[in-house]
Amino acid sequence: MSHYPGAGPAVHDPATLPSDDNVNSYTFCVELKGSQWFLQKGKMIAYYGSIDFNGIGHGRLDRLVRTSFHSPLHASDWVVAAGSGKMLLADRAFDVNSFDLEDGNLTIRSGNLLAFQPSLALKQSIVPGFLTLIGTGKFVAASNGPVVFMEPPIRVDPQALVGWADCPSPCHHYDHGYMTGVMGGLRALTGLGGASGEEHQFEFVGAGTVLLQSTETLMAEQATGAVPPDAGVPGSGGAHTGPSQTAGTPRLPGQLGDLQRRFGL
Amino acid sequence: MFRLQGSKVLAVDMTGDAVKAKNGSMVAYDGQMAFKKMSGGGEGIRGMVTRRLTGEQMTVMEVKGHGTCWFADRASEINLVGLQGDKLYVESSNLLATDAGLRTGTSFTGMRGASQGNGLFTTTVEGHGQAAIMSDGPAVVLRVSAQYPLTVDPGAYVAHQGNLRQSFQSGVTFRTLMGEGGGEAFQIRFEGDGLVYVQPSERNTIAGDV
Repeated sequence: MSHYPGAGPAVHDPATLPSDDNVNSYTFCVELKGSQWFLQKGKMIAYYGSIDFNGIGHGRLDRLVRTSFHSPLHASDWVVAAGSGKMLLADRAFDVNSFDLEDGNLTIRSGNLLAFQPSLALKQSIVPGFLTLIGTGKFVAASNGPVVFMEPPIRVDPQALVGWADCPSPCHHYDHGYMTGVMGGLRALTGLGGASGEEHQFEFVGAGTVLLQSTETLMAEQATGAVPPDAGVPGSGGAHTGPSQTAGTPRLPGQLGDLQRRFGL
Repeated sequence: MFRLQGSKVLAVDMTGDAVKAKNGSMVAYDGQMAFKKMSGGGEGIRGMVTRRLTGEQMTVMEVKGHGTCWFADRASEINLVGLQGDKLYVESSNLLATDAGLRTGTSFTGMRGASQGNGLFTTTVEGHGQAAIMSDGPAVVLRVSAQYPLTVDPGAYVAHQGNLRQSFQSGVTFRTLMGEGGGEAFQIRFEGDGLVYVQPSERNTIAGDV
């Protein structure tokens, strides 16, 4: 410090960098002591020591991938950092935070997850676009603005949702009083007469924690990998699955279908 | 005298002295100020030609007067750097302001510049005084010493100062071509004694996707 007086607020070296903690709101420091971390491609900004970055497809890592990675088609977006030293992670100047899971589970939007310890298992969530972490360990997530933790029962805005822990019941909620009937349909379709933009929410009940970001600007989604095209698998695009079922029913001539139902006819 | 007002606005108190700042970065001033455009960064004809040739163009203005002048650029985070006769290397696009007494110039960076997509040359600032550099998100200042060399992602590198050697590391292997690279195929390694500034965000580089 004495060497360069006035050189900014703080100069870090390996001794002063925190171990597995935030350097500032936007940068996270991971300490590796011969251990391994999974991280998303391209989120490492600098490191001290000797650390190797290997794609998941690296043969030596097969066993690790088998035990803590369960999304084969998603694997190419992740790398394994192994070695010893201190490594800085950051993501497009978004806020980053670390969270500890203890024999728990957490489901998170795929674009928000930055890195995690291999003691956690990463799996695709049944909810398309989300990933689930199961086990004990630390993970790092990015969010647009600081993260807020809420207790269910709660209804949240879809764009503000980052993830949830231990809540088994994420579901859609619509303000039906406002959305149905002729006027409601008109409002919802045209925005005339004051659509608030908040008629649709996600609802959580039960015990657990819901993570929200403090803006409604979504972070770019990461591909979570395709799911097998079996019947009954949400997001698989297979026949007779999930929400597309109603859209697929044959319609008689002269019927307005969804529109008709929306207007309560 | 440079000081930060918040983290995104630079305030400079002046008593008849001058600063060089990025053209158009003044957001407010108090007192009497004169703004003068300096072609070629105020480095004379030779500097101007060099900058044109190297692609490290910067349009700089000289601000002189009595009072306080505030500078900001696209809400970038600003970091103050104190120079005690040593040299600061920074991309011209990341340089916001310098004391008028500091000399600026260009230097060859080799493969580091190429991997950043910023060209092969960078801007140097030398002398005694203060400089303000910009970053996307607050920069983290990392010390490099003999026992602790540092490796940096080219996309997150902002600037460095001191007596540092940089070498370019390429991890491009057969696996990269197979689309199974580690995502960190290009790295810059700093050895020696000095400081490196990294930002918590990666510019789009040609190396970003391999």
